[in-house]
Amino acid sequence: MPDVLTDLYDLRELFDRQQIMVCFNGPINAALIEEIGRALRDYLNHQQEAPRAVADIFAVYIEMTQNIRHYARQHADLDGSGSAAIVVSRDDGHYVISAGNVIASADGAALLARVEELARLDAAELKAAFKTQLRKPRENLEGSAGLGLIDIARKASAPLSAALRQIDAGRSFFSLRVVL
Amino acid sequence: MNDLHLPQTPNTPAVTTDLATGVVTMAGDSYPENPFEFFQPLIDWIDGFLHRQSGPLSLVLDLVYLNTSSIRAMMDIFDRMEEAHRAGAKVSVRWSYDPENERVGELAEEFREDCTFPFLIEPRF
Repeated sequence: MPDVLTDLYDLRELFDRQQIMVCFNGPINAALIEEIGRALRDYLNHQQEAPRAVADIFAVYIEMTQNIRHYARQHADLDGSGSAAIVVSRDDGHYVISAGNVIASADGAALLARVEELARLDAAELKAAFKTQLRKPRENLEGSAGLGLIDIARKASAPLSAALRQIDAGRSFFSLRVVL
Repeated sequence: MNDLHLPQTPNTPAVTTDLATGVVTMAGDSYPENPFEFFQPLIDWIDGFLHRQSGPLSLVLDLVYLNTSSIRAMMDIFDRMEEAHRAGAKVSVRWSYDPENERVGELAEEFREDCTFPFLIEPRF
């Protein structure tokens, strides 16, 4: 089998098959997130997507990546928490944004439960949840990705889905998939 | 109290304030990671204006995309205006937007639901 980095054919096939438009894996910072976001927005505008669709895709991308950055800042000593895998693809006429990052295993169950809880809410319930979260005192919000996650769920066209995989005793990899 | 004249950047809006007329303008996108650093000078200016002025305060907005942290910061501003309005001050918001992107109108509408002062949402044709 040829070295995957000498012969990029297989990698390209995978990207083509999954209709991946943007794929990033590595350490992220604010400037990088914004550059990729602007490139994504320019690309979508160029594709003549409806302004509402472009706005939603951009917003979800920003909230997902800024959630990862916030988590990384609060867990600076967690190995690998400053990196993210971000994939923007198309599936059956929809845009899909997936993002994954290393989290403390102790946070995994609660995060999955939160995603599942939001996935069950309808539009009116999500709006109410957003307003409730918006009104929570700021000192109670430390470490919560609450508002961002609700906003993402509101803009998604299908219920959010998430996966959790154990890396080692203390760390897990959390993936979130959002269909627009 | 000094007026603010902040130029627009890719992730923060242009902001101007005018002590003489009470007009505050904001235009552009707002999605910095930590909006509180950006918004605090404006919130301080608005607090100062509401506390010492008897003249009206008018927010003239052409905001497009706000991340959720910026939404929280704008809510803080509207809450202060609501409080001043209930205490008898003249405050108002005029938010104009490109009707091609109805998400902006929806966002403005959700803010307006919690305000009893004049809050005009204006599609720009």
